[in-house]
Amino acid sequence: MGAYVLRRLVQAVPLLWLISLVVFLLLHVIPGGPMAAYENNPDMTAEDLHRLEHDLGLDAPLHVQYVRWLAALVHGDWGYSLASKRPVLVEIGDRLPNTVYLMGVATLVTLLLAIPIGIFSAVRQYSTLDHVVTTVAFMGHSIPIFWFGLILIIVFHVMLRNPLSGAPLFPGGGMYTLGMPFSLLDRLHHLVLPVGMLAVANAATYTRYTRASMLEVIGQDYIRTARAKGTPEPLVIWKHGLKNAATPVVTILALDLPALFAGAVFTETMFSWPGMGRLFIESAFRVDYALLMAIIMVTAALTVAFNLLADVTYAVLDPRIRYG
Amino acid sequence: MNTAGVRRTLVAIGLAAALLASWPVPAFPQAKRGGVLTFALYQEPETLNPYIATQTASFEVNVFTIEGLLGVGPDGEYFPLLAKEVPSRQNGGVSGDGKTITYHFKDGLKWSDGQPVTCDDVRFTWQAIVDPKSGASGTTGYRDIETVDCPSPSTVVVRYKTFYAPFLSRFDAIMPRHAAGDPAEMPRWAYNRKPVGTGPFTMLEWVSGDHITFIPNRYYREAGKPYLSAVIIRITPSREVGKQLIKTGEIDVLWDLVESDVPELQPAAGVKISSAPSSFAERLVLNLADPTLDGPPLDQVEKNPHPILGDPRVREAIELGINKQEIIDKLLFGLATIGTNELHIGWARCATKPSEYDPARARQLLEQAGWKPGSDGIRVAQGARYAKDGTRLRLKLQTTTGNKLREQAEQLLIDYMKQIGLEFYIENVPSPVLFGSWASGAFRKHGHFDVVLYTTNPDVDPQSQVEGYFASWSSPTAANSGAGFNYARWGNKTADENINLAKNSPDINARKKAYCAVMGEIVKDRPHIYLYDRSSIHAYRDRMQGWVTNVWDRLGWNAEDWSLR
Repeated sequence: MGAYVLRRLVQAVPLLWLISLVVFLLLHVIPGGPMAAYENNPDMTAEDLHRLEHDLGLDAPLHVQYVRWLAALVHGDWGYSLASKRPVLVEIGDRLPNTVYLMGVATLVTLLLAIPIGIFSAVRQYSTLDHVVTTVAFMGHSIPIFWFGLILIIVFHVMLRNPLSGAPLFPGGGMYTLGMPFSLLDRLHHLVLPVGMLAVANAATYTRYTRASMLEVIGQDYIRTARAKGTPEPLVIWKHGLKNAATPVVTILALDLPALFAGAVFTETMFSWPGMGRLFIESAFRVDYALLMAIIMVTAALTVAFNLLADVTYAVLDPRIRYG
Repeated sequence: MNTAGVRRTLVAIGLAAALLASWPVPAFPQAKRGGVLTFALYQEPETLNPYIATQTASFEVNVFTIEGLLGVGPDGEYFPLLAKEVPSRQNGGVSGDGKTITYHFKDGLKWSDGQPVTCDDVRFTWQAIVDPKSGASGTTGYRDIETVDCPSPSTVVVRYKTFYAPFLSRFDAIMPRHAAGDPAEMPRWAYNRKPVGTGPFTMLEWVSGDHITFIPNRYYREAGKPYLSAVIIRITPSREVGKQLIKTGEIDVLWDLVESDVPELQPAAGVKISSAPSSFAERLVLNLADPTLDGPPLDQVEKNPHPILGDPRVREAIELGINKQEIIDKLLFGLATIGTNELHIGWARCATKPSEYDPARARQLLEQAGWKPGSDGIRVAQGARYAKDGTRLRLKLQTTTGNKLREQAEQLLIDYMKQIGLEFYIENVPSPVLFGSWASGAFRKHGHFDVVLYTTNPDVDPQSQVEGYFASWSSPTAANSGAGFNYARWGNKTADENINLAKNSPDINARKKAYCAVMGEIVKDRPHIYLYDRSSIHAYRDRMQGWVTNVWDRLGWNAEDWSLR
């Protein structure tokens, strides 16, 4: 097992290097670039443009720029944001806790909702509740999330009022009420809509996977054996059933976990959440190479890492799976 | 888990949700003096350093704390801010040759940290901008300064090497030497995130991606001001979200709306709309040169004119064929004015007569220019000045993709042109492609286009805009590495002479006259056809008092007078 993990980690290095090269090239194919912000300003002379381009290192040939970036990275230097001129790590450090907070709560809520519902609709296949859950899951999965977010704001912030205070039922965005001292209730109040939006969108997938996987497991002989032995039904479902059905769910979860870092672009954008997703979008609009490279590379590294983690978890969940 | 268990869980979740929903939302206390105003921006500033920033949002924020020697009022005229008066020849502030400018500070000026404001800060600002390592974005004008002399702490003497006509527009932000840093390190200054200024407010905190809080500057020069106890800049990621927040009063000011937002916000209770004509003019830029040539210099344009647009009669026909008023009424909810020329407002404004909508005359002009109706109604060259016989009267119309208003305007334009027998066809591109650089091969820079539709605007001092877009030497070519914005490749002797006159005259009235002469030539010759002048539209809550629209400055230009009811 140890050798297997080591081998996978070694394999990840060329993979990540290749990703960095492709992403670097793709970013530079985007028309515009960081200098576009200056080019249409009639107050900028050609000399000014050249000076700035040189200061930012953008006048060097592309391969030189890439080697410079890679060499700095090897020394642990992610560089400076082209827009704010602040170190990339500081920019990320400002946003990351907010994203981990939102995505952590949202993932937890999603799983707490989706797995019981998925199991339930598998155990009671074709019951009324199963039909309802399936329908709602498909709706949740199919609704365009940016539209859904705006509808949530219009309904729960603009239209509906708190009957006691007359204030909007839920805040329309942000992490807390500006200008107020810290309050846990206020924080939770601000979490409801964005977490609700993420949960509705993501729970659908998890419910479907749990249901499908559980259905398959329930039909297996060992479940029949367990029942025949007289094992109580909850134990049959939760121990014998869920443990075997969890493998595909763990895969999906592992693929979703890098979002704890990368954030949710649409949710953060709809609910003014100062997280990584918005940092990414803003950097993309500003074509901020240094910041974009850092966000994409860390996300890529996390994806590789969590994939490995998922594979390791399989072995734990299912002793039949062996790596050697 | 059995059914009852699941049911219990669901009920518990439902109860928890209901509980959350019933929590009272805290509200800010309101008072005539004091009170917190929330200002929504849908862009986060990249930096607050005015000499590094490129985004409008940066300036919308730093206006609360950073000031310059002079300001610009709603009429587009300069007024003294840190200076006692606007320097002029009459008050001795401007020397005879216009190269030496003297400013006197108002008495007792202090930075928000209590340090006195001195002439040395102005000198420092200049040194920081021109330092080759400072990363300052624009150095125009500042490079032409020989030295900044300080005969006394409150007197600033700026000596220019050569006359620089827009001298009043320089030093619109002063940076404190003691609270900044080494000019060569300007991009890394702590000042950039927490500037020290002289304005009515001073910065308390900036929470990345979320908000920026300003509190009153206790050293502000006007006693008893500002009235507000805080201004919170709230970063909302989109205009759409901002529109919902202002309806509920969660924010007080919403920056930068477009015309089509107005019908939605106008009926909302407690929301007021501020709309005023701005310097932004939506226009068609016509290529007067052969579009197959690559960035031709002007002497080549004369020999190789655009086969269709090279003939001024065709350009006139296009303008007469456009029903500008209908575009405004149909697409802009009447919130714009008919476009006339580049300088329709400001101190240098030049009133020219709006074009008439006269399709009959347009058809007649095309007829005279040798464009005869073809079988499908679109004209074909038959003795046209530059086009070969049989050439179809067909032009490519381009603008940025994803802009609904422009796309709708294009549809109307196609329709208008069809009525006079001219065919427009659309080929829109993403804005980085349209506005790209010479090096990136952008077709606008290289002259590979017929007609493009977009907005641009002159500054308070129009020199760089007028010279950049209309001087014959501003055509982008390989020789000048694509500098300049004269995409029409328009060469006009009278305009050139007057642009130079305006550039070299210390007398503001002489400059006004010269600019107006340039406008006259543009209107006559039509390198650009002005469709409409855009309005600057913003919204604010009616509990806010003291709002004064000033299209020449940022919304917070008079924030010291803002208060809440």
